[in-house]
Amino acid sequence: MDTIPLIHLQLLSAFLFVAGLATVLLRRNLFFVLMGVELMLNAANLSFLAWSRVQSGASTMEGQVSPLFSIAIAAAEACVGLAMLLAVFRSRESLDTDAYSRMKE
Amino acid sequence: MIAQVYFWIFAAIAAACALGVMLSRHPINGAMSLIGTMVSLAGIFSLIASPFMATLQVLVYAGAVMMLVVFVIMVLNCAKDHSTPLFDGAGLFGVLPAAALGALLVRVFVGLDKQATVAMNPQAPRGDVDAISKTLFGAGQHTGGWALLFLAVGILLLTAIVGAVLLAKRHLDSPSEPATIEGGH
Repeated sequence: MDTIPLIHLQLLSAFLFVAGLATVLLRRNLFFVLMGVELMLNAANLSFLAWSRVQSGASTMEGQVSPLFSIAIAAAEACVGLAMLLAVFRSRESLDTDAYSRMKE
Repeated sequence: MIAQVYFWIFAAIAAACALGVMLSRHPINGAMSLIGTMVSLAGIFSLIASPFMATLQVLVYAGAVMMLVVFVIMVLNCAKDHSTPLFDGAGLFGVLPAAALGALLVRVFVGLDKQATVAMNPQAPRGDVDAISKTLFGAGQHTGGWALLFLAVGILLLTAIVGAVLLAKRHLDSPSEPATIEGGH
């Protein structure tokens, strides 16, 4: 039977999540911060789907449904995040996160 | 065997593109790398018998979300970002939590049962539209499924659209120039 070990899928998911987290924490460009968040959400979806394949009984489909909500939240996050990026870019003309360290004005 | 070969190909592409997101200089290159990650993840999704999520991954993520990101990158034409360094000294503090999280996740997953494999046999329930919609709307169950959460997601998306339109408008209330709000230039 053709199988993929669960640990390979989970390790790939962990690698993608850590890469996304490192992108969010290390990069200074605002676009890359948003893209790192998207990468982390993708890694979580992969983990959900991989776990759902080793469940048995009625709980098999739960892990297949959960990424649907994750994707919807990611779409809303990208929508609002990019609108905020546009609005905040007009006031500073910079994409560096250090340019937005002051909360006044 | 063939599934493992496909998995390693997709996993290599996804991991390389994730590194590309982390290390690329221009936001367009990062966005293209992210699209590569998403498409190869869609391949892995269909490989582990989740065709609905694979389709949604391509349609919503690679299609809609990344199209929006690329569009905004192109609207902000000066996103060239020559002055901003790729990393800086303060970023060194971000290495520690990322490495700690990675070590923790690897520690957890290596301790898993080695025999737990993802079944690829066609008898296992597949995540296709039929099965997912029955679970989502609670067909044949007493709990009602996830229908309430589905409605809440609809309201969330509507709120996000309205919020994005309000945020992206140039002036909200004041008919004056935006320079007066910013006080400087």
